[in-house]
Amino acid sequence: MEMRFTKNFKLINALLIVFVFVCEILSSEVPRPRGVSLSRASLYPPEKDFTCFDGSKTIPFSQVNDDYCDCPDASDEPGTAACPQGIFHCTNAGHKPLNIAASRVNDGICDCCDGTDEYASGKACQNNCIELGRSAREEAQRKAELIKAGKQLKAELSQKGIQMKQEKQVKLNELQKNKEEAEKLREEKLTLKKEAEELESAALEYYRKLEEEIKKKKAEEEAARNRAEALENFNKFDSNQDGYVDITELQTRQNFDKDRNGEVSEEEAKFFLSEQMQANSSPPAESEDSQGESDDMQDGDEHDDAHEDDEEEEDHEPEHHEEENEEKPTDITYDDETQKLVERATSARNEFYEADKQVKNIVGEIQGIKDYLEKDFGPDEEFAALEGQCFHYEDHEYIYKLCPFEKTSQQPKSGSVETRLGTWGRWDGTETNKYESMMYDKGQSCWNGPQRSTKVRIECGNENKMTSVSEPNRCEYLFDFVSPAACREVPIDVHEELHDEL
Amino acid sequence: MALLLRYTPFLLYVIGSILAVDKNAFKSCEQSSFCRRLRDVKAGESKYELDLASLQISENSVEAKLINTEVEAQFKFSLTAIAGNIFRLQVDEVNPLYPRYRPQYALKAEPQVANALEGEVQPANEDPGAWEENFKSHHDSKPKGPSAVGLDITFPGALRAYGLPEHADQLALRTTGSGGLDPYRLYNLDVFEYEVESTMALYGAVPVVYAHSPKYTVGVFWHNAAETWVDINNSKDGNVMSSLVNLVSGSKSENSVEAHFMSESGVMDLFVFMGPKPKDVVRQYASLTGVAPLPQYFTLAYHQCRWNYNDEDDVTSVVENFDIHDLPVDIIWLDIEYTDGKKYFTWDPIKFAHPDVMINNLTASGRKLVVIIDPHIKRESGYFLHEDALANGYYVKNKDGSVYEGWCWPGSSSYLDFYDPKVVEYYKDLYSLDKFKGTTNDVYIWNDMNEPSVFNGPEVTMPKDCLHYGGWEHRDVHNEYALAHTVGTFQGLLHRSSNKRPFILTRGHFAGSQRYVAMWTGDNAADWSHLAVSYPMCLSEALGGISFCGADVGGFFNNPDVELLQRWYQLDDIRSVKSNVEEPYLFSEDVRNRIRTALRLRYAHLPLWYTLFWEHESTGDPVIRPLFYQYPSDENVFDIDNEVLILAFYRGGSIIPRKDRPRRASSVMHNDPFTLYIALDSKKSASGTLYIDDNESYEYKNSNKYIYVHFTFEDNSLISNLIDKTDFPTKEWIERVIILGPPSDITSAKLTSKSLGTVTLETYYDGEQKSLTIRKPGVSVREPFTIKLF
Repeated sequence: MEMRFTKNFKLINALLIVFVFVCEILSSEVPRPRGVSLSRASLYPPEKDFTCFDGSKTIPFSQVNDDYCDCPDASDEPGTAACPQGIFHCTNAGHKPLNIAASRVNDGICDCCDGTDEYASGKACQNNCIELGRSAREEAQRKAELIKAGKQLKAELSQKGIQMKQEKQVKLNELQKNKEEAEKLREEKLTLKKEAEELESAALEYYRKLEEEIKKKKAEEEAARNRAEALENFNKFDSNQDGYVDITELQTRQNFDKDRNGEVSEEEAKFFLSEQMQANSSPPAESEDSQGESDDMQDGDEHDDAHEDDEEEEDHEPEHHEEENEEKPTDITYDDETQKLVERATSARNEFYEADKQVKNIVGEIQGIKDYLEKDFGPDEEFAALEGQCFHYEDHEYIYKLCPFEKTSQQPKSGSVETRLGTWGRWDGTETNKYESMMYDKGQSCWNGPQRSTKVRIECGNENKMTSVSEPNRCEYLFDFVSPAACREVPIDVHEELHDEL
Repeated sequence: MALLLRYTPFLLYVIGSILAVDKNAFKSCEQSSFCRRLRDVKAGESKYELDLASLQISENSVEAKLINTEVEAQFKFSLTAIAGNIFRLQVDEVNPLYPRYRPQYALKAEPQVANALEGEVQPANEDPGAWEENFKSHHDSKPKGPSAVGLDITFPGALRAYGLPEHADQLALRTTGSGGLDPYRLYNLDVFEYEVESTMALYGAVPVVYAHSPKYTVGVFWHNAAETWVDINNSKDGNVMSSLVNLVSGSKSENSVEAHFMSESGVMDLFVFMGPKPKDVVRQYASLTGVAPLPQYFTLAYHQCRWNYNDEDDVTSVVENFDIHDLPVDIIWLDIEYTDGKKYFTWDPIKFAHPDVMINNLTASGRKLVVIIDPHIKRESGYFLHEDALANGYYVKNKDGSVYEGWCWPGSSSYLDFYDPKVVEYYKDLYSLDKFKGTTNDVYIWNDMNEPSVFNGPEVTMPKDCLHYGGWEHRDVHNEYALAHTVGTFQGLLHRSSNKRPFILTRGHFAGSQRYVAMWTGDNAADWSHLAVSYPMCLSEALGGISFCGADVGGFFNNPDVELLQRWYQLDDIRSVKSNVEEPYLFSEDVRNRIRTALRLRYAHLPLWYTLFWEHESTGDPVIRPLFYQYPSDENVFDIDNEVLILAFYRGGSIIPRKDRPRRASSVMHNDPFTLYIALDSKKSASGTLYIDDNESYEYKNSNKYIYVHFTFEDNSLISNLIDKTDFPTKEWIERVIILGPPSDITSAKLTSKSLGTVTLETYYDGEQKSLTIRKPGVSVREPFTIKLF
């Protein structure tokens, strides 16, 4: 078995063995199979047969890294691409160590900065770990300084935020007191209103009856007049006075000639016959109503103009209906005493409405403050100061706008309509730092696609500023935003890791 | 070599399309003057007679005068035998008023004359639409008057007819007829939101029909590029007409299929393929119109396309995300937005300011780029292409000779006239690296909108009385326009990169397009019915010579739900040329994992697909095949068009070479070893082939740099041999052999080859899989070897 193995290996790449040997000497003093990290080296004792980590199989140690996948858990091939689920560890001395998928080993593409993943592909990878490590450290340094400087600003922002919340809290307490008073006042006004209205109602009872009688009389007169008119018309058309209006009778009348061909056809006559009958059977009041409706429509148009930007037409009917349905003022005049009672009731009503409005206003204001107080402006209220502001970013085509805790949008520079890219949804960061990004969703829908949304990534900076905008996926935007509010100490792992395997 | 892909039938029944094509925008037969006229002609009422006195019979042909008994017009009739059991029937006017058009690109070469059938040439009755025609607001002047040609063909004994792509319909052709289905229409059109189960025209036209019965299969190719309608009558559908025919002929209801070809203009030129089996007729058709040249290996891998990628960073981050999520991808596609204001052969100066850098980033990780180039040219002064075309008369003209203008993506546009050899010469130069600046040898081309699509034209295409080079009317050449366009692109890519096989994806296509391009089924929808119809559509194209056919994975219109998306990826075989949905890494982890599994399976089978494409080039056999093709005498399979032979489900008797090591792109798999899957049949034997070359160049043709391996398994021995006496210096080796349905009690194996001598190999059974694995033969695929089981 040993012999076969050697032969096969020779066939694949005889050079490989030499190369492996040299590499392992160079990369570490602890002998271990290729692709294994220092911390796991002890799992591969070369003097024993190798048992897969999942215990499924035991193989001769010579079959570890022999470019054939024996273990379902890939543990026998840490240094080759033989196992689909394998992981290859590169030391990357001078920079961060890295675990890559086994599928990246010997594929002709340099994935590890030390180039150890391409040991048999013929690809010459440069070791640039030192350079990368240096710039990574510089970058970490820069960030640390930024955070240091930003922390002062953040503290100020935080103070401001806390102060704002406190002020709101004070205001809330005040409003709650005001609310109690206003409610008390409303109670009083309601009682007064009820009393005045009772008196008013009793006084008006007499007049109400009087009014009804007048109405009834008027209606009777109207009906009589209509009957007389109908009879007159009927007699006019009923040329042969047989008590029926028939089609031939109507056909003699040119004013029924709808198509103006000089003749009243049977259809035309029938049309008017039925029209006429309908007209006669309907009370005149209805035609007045229809007049009213057309006025209504006109009003409606004006109304629409005033709300141009609302896409959906508002239902404005009820408002106008009320007006139209109001009883017409009758000619009746009240006696002085009644008149006084009516006036007193009216003013009691007005006073009540006023008091009620006051209560509603206060309730609304309280709700607003409560909403504000519930908003998550960060653990130290450091993001509070961003609310109510908007920040802009321009690229060659668009102006992007971020109004924190409200919305994101996009407007072409040519000036046409603004497109909403998202509405404030939630903090959307990672488990370790929920405040590193915001999600604005439920924006306008894309053509043939989903609703737009925006992720706002927030990093530490010494001012509040949008730094870039992209659309990494269709209709999904990504804003980069820097703010002192995002400056927080992060555990810097650079130093520990760097020394891991030197 | 037959594997079988089968998908569960429930897919077929879940149909609920929310899209609808606007049928009023496209003509029915009744609205098309010549179709209406020709359809009126009843079979058996021909006014044409052969003048037997003029009959001349030579060794290879029969010629005679054909006379119209009504108007005494004379025609020349000829019937010629072509090499390979093919006949050619031609009828042309003896003294034509105007010459008739003969397609220029469909045939790969003028057929070689070599060493029976019934046809009836039908005259046309005068119809009010004969000399001019109006459709919607469009007027067709028809200066040459009526020039339609029609032919009835009867296939006695046939049970089914297949062919006539492209239609979003079932594979077996349905009976059409007045009062029922409109005839199958072949007229390349940009049909917005097309619907399935329809004989309406689509983007491509391949006028070939195969008639099939358990005993024999024959075919006809109608060599005509004008608008064509084809009525099909299968007597099994109980049509009155066919029962009449049976009555007259006195035959005892033998089944038959009739095909009635009706073309608006052009020459009558019909090729008849004598079969006798499906394999033979398809090969006979391929001998005339050619085969698809072997594509580059990467073109068979996964393509990611989206409308659209916004800028260079977008492209870079998409690829990064594929890598982060360990999903393989080979090609990124750029739709029209990469251009500077929809001016082709230019880049947006801001969003794509450094295309060369972007492309090099792609190729550094083994990927390629495909960019779109459409045939309409923006009419903008200062745009070099427009200026050149105007100055040199390269555009298609109106009937009065002025330049034709239509609307397409860029707004006002004109259309290059690819029938003019000067235009093709000019066009091909545009692809060179010094002209199309920023591109590299790793950029390939997507030719879209080449029906041609004209937003404000009749039926969204060019007016028929427009004029092309040579004085031909657009009506004569319409169905061939896309082919002429892609010939220009093909020559351009060859000219640019002479030793790399071009890759071009086209939407419009015609008979013969396979010699230059791959095609896809256009703007389909994210709908189960569209997933289902992609099978018969591509199978039909494959029978029509165009094996490299795909559909947008996930559909183009609308967004698929995740269930549909996963299924689409899972059923994804070579039918999917590109994916036009959200990148798969955007979905939840479990969806992503399923898609990854599906993609890895596709990549594992690439050697098999590549081998099939090479075999297609050598023989003309389609890469994907319907069941009736493989089992011609089994009537049970004649209507099955939701299964493709190959993949996923290995038929007993086959040996499948796979590459089971996942990689980020196919281009970095070239040195990876093979696993051979041997599915034994009832005789415990199996065989298979494997083709290997450098995956990109013409060395396989020019210098025989390839190997073609034949594997057989018999008597407990696997034998590998080279079929051709060729060689290719590959590093690929055999890492594993898996025998499905293996012999029992095997304890070891011995491999023998020249370089390794004889070595013992470990074997082990997998009880669950009922398979036997031979561990690490380690032998190169270049050398013959034997593995004997003990």
